[in-house]
Amino acid sequence: MDAFIQDLIAYWPQILAGLKNTVLLMVIMSVTGLIGGVGVFYLTLSNHKAARRWTNGFISFFIGTPLIVHLFLMYYGLPELGIRLSAFTVAVIGFTLNVSAYNARYLATAYNGLDKTELEAARAQGFTERETFRLIIVPQVMRMSVPSLTNQAIQNLKDTSVAFLIQYHDFFAQMQEIASANFQFFKAYVTAGLVYLALISIIVLAARRLEKRIALPGLAT
Amino acid sequence: MALIEVKDLAKAFDGKAVLKGINLELSEGQAKVVMGTSGCGKSTLLRCLNLLLQPTSGRIIFKGEDITRPGVDIRKVRADIGFVFQHFALYRHLTVEENVTLGLRKLKKMKAKEAVQKASHELERLGMIEHRGKYPAQLSGGQKQRAAIVRALAMDPAVLFLDEPTSALDPEMSREVVTVINKLFLENVTMLCVTHDPFLAKYISDSIIFMDEGMVVAEDIAERLFYDHADARIKHFFMSVIDHR
Repeated sequence: MDAFIQDLIAYWPQILAGLKNTVLLMVIMSVTGLIGGVGVFYLTLSNHKAARRWTNGFISFFIGTPLIVHLFLMYYGLPELGIRLSAFTVAVIGFTLNVSAYNARYLATAYNGLDKTELEAARAQGFTERETFRLIIVPQVMRMSVPSLTNQAIQNLKDTSVAFLIQYHDFFAQMQEIASANFQFFKAYVTAGLVYLALISIIVLAARRLEKRIALPGLAT
Repeated sequence: MALIEVKDLAKAFDGKAVLKGINLELSEGQAKVVMGTSGCGKSTLLRCLNLLLQPTSGRIIFKGEDITRPGVDIRKVRADIGFVFQHFALYRHLTVEENVTLGLRKLKKMKAKEAVQKASHELERLGMIEHRGKYPAQLSGGQKQRAAIVRALAMDPAVLFLDEPTSALDPEMSREVVTVINKLFLENVTMLCVTHDPFLAKYISDSIIFMDEGMVVAEDIAERLFYDHADARIKHFFMSVIDHR
């Protein structure tokens, strides 16, 4: 049997654990990033100029700086201030902030395409701004943003491999270990690529189903 | 006592006066139409009356209460004024029935079943029951406007405001909507309607208010205003809109 296959079998429990960590991190950051994104998007619509300014500053900062800087800053920088966080905590916080900024931008873009007379109608009916946001804006911008949010979920999965650099034992970290165990780098990385591709295909299929399910008759989402 | 009494209402945008001392009254069961040239302030007036726009000065007495004074519950006032928009403004992610029940459930705090019953009753009343499960994108323009009227009426408002309800429709669909509004007129629904459409104005109003440059110039019944008015501006306006039809 090929030595690499033998290694894969031998390392199978670790690979599975790494895969579990990767999927866990991806799911958590996709959920928290979505909730955070909706929250940040809400603040971009605030009537308070200062709130809007701070929120746009937040978005610009996290979109304008590399993810690895945020992770390194928290994992290696914060201990200098006496704050020590686990790799998992840093990954969750760092990714959530980053993904929230991107998702907020996608939702804001979709909002620009919303028919604003609906918002006026909601006000005229007596809905508060918060109710209008929850009942009219969010359901529509979420629908319109499914393609962008799917791309972000795919990006989230790919970005989990960056967490390896802060000692998070994800799938890629395990493959790296196998690769260095007997210098079968090519096979290890091709295998890693194929596994990521399979996971991404699942996300794409799920997103397509969701898109079909939530499509409004007579309207493209 | 008038349901709505407007006293010296003024509205300016960036110092530019759009409404200049409007006075008008609307009693319960009465239907009035506001007409006038484009940009004369008709739609601004309607939006000021339910406080979608804050008037610069003047008073609006609604059901005996001055709603321009600070501390007024704007939501409560708006919930009591039905508003129908030129471009329908239906919530496009909701079906016709959901468009109608949303306000009933969230603002009137009705139970879902009760809201559906109320919606069904109103949809039936305006001949929209067969479209209850459709989304706005599946409706014709006339059906959309009828759905928007049902949505407003279902809240049992004290008054119905209509902002150019037929302007975005072709003549056939426009006729369909005029028929519906005429039905409401005959049922004595209190209405204030802004329109350019003399056909609509004639069939749904007790009297017509004519506005020019942010002021009320005249108020009279359709026949006198359309064909026999001394004011040159009014004569010119109605000659042009009626001749073009």
